[in-house]
Amino acid sequence: MMNKCLLCQESILTKSDVLDILGIRTTQPAVCAQCLTQFETIGERICFGCGRLSHDDTLCQDCQRWQSNGKQLLEHRALYRYNATMKDYMQRYKFSGDYALREVFRSVLLQHLKNYSDYIKVPIPISDQTWLTRGFNQVTGLLEGCQYQELLSVRAHQKAHQSQLNRQKRMTRKQPFELIDGTINLQGKSILLIDDIYTTGNTMYYAADLLYSVGAQAVRSVSLAR
Amino acid sequence: MIIQPESLYGRLVTWPKVVAQPVKNCEILPTFKGNTCQRCGCRNLERLPRQQFYCRQCLALGRVSSLDHFLTLPEPNHFNQKHMLTWTGTLTPQQNEVSQVLVQKLKQQQNHLVWAVTGAGKTEMLFPLLHTALNAHLRIGIVSPRVDVIVELAPRLEQAFSKSDMVVLHGQQPLPYRYTQLVLATTHQLLRFYRAFDLLIIDEVDSFPFAGDRMLAYAVEQASKIDRTQIYLTATPTPQLQRQVKRKKLSVSYLPLRFHQHLLPQITVRYVGDWRKKKRQPTVPPTLHQQLSRYYQSGQRFLLFVPKIKDLAPLLDIIRQHWPDMLGESVYAGDPKRQEKVQMMRDKRIQYLITTTILERGVTLPGIDVLILGADDPIFSENALVQIAGRVGRSHERPSGLVCAYVTYKTQALRLAQRQIKKMNQLGNVLRQNNDE
Ligand SMILES: [Zn+2]
Ligand SMILES: [Zn+2]
Ligand SMILES: [Zn+2]
Repeated sequence: MMNKCLLCQESILTKSDVLDILGIRTTQPAVCAQCLTQFETIGERICFGCGRLSHDDTLCQDCQRWQSNGKQLLEHRALYRYNATMKDYMQRYKFSGDYALREVFRSVLLQHLKNYSDYIKVPIPISDQTWLTRGFNQVTGLLEGCQYQELLSVRAHQKAHQSQLNRQKRMTRKQPFELIDGTINLQGKSILLIDDIYTTGNTMYYAADLLYSVGAQAVRSVSLAR
Repeated sequence: MIIQPESLYGRLVTWPKVVAQPVKNCEILPTFKGNTCQRCGCRNLERLPRQQFYCRQCLALGRVSSLDHFLTLPEPNHFNQKHMLTWTGTLTPQQNEVSQVLVQKLKQQQNHLVWAVTGAGKTEMLFPLLHTALNAHLRIGIVSPRVDVIVELAPRLEQAFSKSDMVVLHGQQPLPYRYTQLVLATTHQLLRFYRAFDLLIIDEVDSFPFAGDRMLAYAVEQASKIDRTQIYLTATPTPQLQRQVKRKKLSVSYLPLRFHQHLLPQITVRYVGDWRKKKRQPTVPPTLHQQLSRYYQSGQRFLLFVPKIKDLAPLLDIIRQHWPDMLGESVYAGDPKRQEKVQMMRDKRIQYLITTTILERGVTLPGIDVLILGADDPIFSENALVQIAGRVGRSHERPSGLVCAYVTYKTQALRLAQRQIKKMNQLGNVLRQNNDE
């Protein structure tokens, strides 16, 4: 069987063609090797607190600041760098709204989430307005086929998209989320927050605050890109 | 977001259902009827969560989803400008005759096909029609499936109607849409129009880049007003168009002579053996070798067409080794140096180009010959071959030339291409005799 690369429309021929003929089902890759190489993984040398590329083993300044503000570090891990190709991908997936493109990274992300098997997976939510215009949460799209719990929602009057706010505004914004179920108790539970992009960490730390306030024992986070 | 009413005239603007309409009293149309996208007419649906969906076929023009509807306002023909034809050339008698037919068709609101050989001067022939339509306050669309046709046409029209306002729309165009009487666009852009055009001219109607003719036909219908005139221009009509002509459902004008009044060169066929040596490395068969030797002697410039990109490099190697001081390059569609190499050929800095089918249309290289190695490959369709032959004889100085196909066997496509050229030349001969009398 031949399928087309979701990103460049070129046909993908895979080794599994033989297996298909033999009737052995294999998963077809969603993108061609050519496109895939344009995305850069972060690599091994990272800041322990936020998962950014790092050249020494110390915490980066941002993470030191989070710590001195009394935050428990999220030990965030990102899969890919937010390079031009990733930016273009996000443009097409999120802003042009091509929901089919979730398949580009879905299986890679699900594979990575196996490292967090005893965590409750909690996606960062989108606003009601975005649900009515974009029509999908870009995070849960990537999580199809994995168990997750939507514990958070975006508080009303927080309609502006994160990307439309400048850095200054993003930093000073108040808690953007609330718990869907105000009576929930997460005593002793480990939570893994999942978002598409980690930029300042603000979003994630707000979400973590909320989860700690109802008893979560540990909150970690993962994103596709940073 | 602020929207001027006139930006909705004859347009389809995608708008989220939950967002208030920006213009009072605009019409609202559904984005889908059943499974069919109302912008592109296709059924390439992709699901969204919560029972919603979107169209992946026309996504490049901005997403159409079940969360949206379309806004539009009827085309009011709010044009009061006086238009002047600032073109000072003259039409040949045949061009003039066809242009008068087109003006008639506009008055009768009938569709019409102009079957003109490459190099017949189609554009100039449109000027009287455009002039009439502009001054009748009609809205006019001139479209082609190919962006390079539009890009090339734009300055010529701007020159011919230097007082008239027009907008040029295509995927690489950074300027936003604005409401004008004359619109130049790729056919793809027609998907954003709705009952806008009184006159729609479709250039190179046969050259739709992929087999999406259905979408093209849908776009053309959607963008035209109910009462309208559509003019199709082509050198190589599709079988569908030829059938319509045969059944007298579509009237036709022929322009079998090129602007310099000469006939199209016929395709000569030379038989060669297995030039790919058991489907592997290409070789230069003896007859082609002789021809290349003649070109080496005479300095005659030529294009050598080959079926596959992987044929390019080995053939260039062989030819360079044999005739090191005969300068040439190879070029293909995705070649990063494509423009540069074609320019070298234009500037006569090189004598030849080896190429895949990409140069078949649009590129004018006066005075060249054309050789097609492996013309029996399926990539060379009837129309592709006629187009390739049309590269030859594009100048007054050298109105003819050689078009030679090197094949192992003669394909149906090759036979049909020769027949098409023969037919046009027969018509052309009749015209020439009439002219002489
Ligand atoms: Zn690809
Ligand atoms: Zn850090
Ligand atoms: Zn569509």
